[in-house]
Amino acid sequence: MINVLQQQTNRFKSAIVKECVREIVRERLSGLRYDPEEVPELSRSLAEGIKDKVKDAGFDRYKLVVQVVIGEQRGQGVKMSSRCLWDADTDSYAEDVFINDSLFCVVAIFGIYYY
Amino acid sequence: MDFFQTRKQYFLVPVNEDNRRCIEGVIGGTDYNQSKVNQWTASVVEHSLTHLVKQGRPFKYIVNCTIMQKSGAGLHTANSCYWDTATDGSCTVRWENRTMYCVVSVFAVAVAL
Repeated sequence: MINVLQQQTNRFKSAIVKECVREIVRERLSGLRYDPEEVPELSRSLAEGIKDKVKDAGFDRYKLVVQVVIGEQRGQGVKMSSRCLWDADTDSYAEDVFINDSLFCVVAIFGIYYY
Repeated sequence: MDFFQTRKQYFLVPVNEDNRRCIEGVIGGTDYNQSKVNQWTASVVEHSLTHLVKQGRPFKYIVNCTIMQKSGAGLHTANSCYWDTATDGSCTVRWENRTMYCVVSVFAVAVAL
């Protein structure tokens, strides 16, 4: 039963989602400078915006988790890692990194299939 | 304490405490070191995931760890999730020492059985 359902599903395609995310991030952050007053709201609204856009991209039966990290660029070192326990046949993720000379932004979006 | 709820059952899961212990175990007492940060993030994330899996609950997990050197720069993290709020949940732990910040987020998505 589960196999039949999977064949009819539109799989979570990393490349397509990555493109979606890239467009939104570049549109919202190009030319922006890091402002500690605005960044909390910016990161929150970017996460919501990305989630809404990917939801409309037509991946039925996928739950989405979007994580956005925005930091000030001062030449410091940063490392972000993720590990997932999931079904590798159906679940996947996409990521994007944006850097300008004032800030950096990392977006990770995970798609989990709901059986 | 943070809650992960499955359908009609409520589990009180001290996920935050476990995560804090994982972080302390890997980077407690060390200074930021660029050559080691890869292996630190991998360790923290693997230990967290192992602890969660040992609990044997019917969830898929996503564990995320960010380590940043302290340099006076600001860092903001935001999440947005499209899921079933009755059964799925997340929690985030912030940890710091003299030279670095560490933020660990755990997302748990219920497996429909």
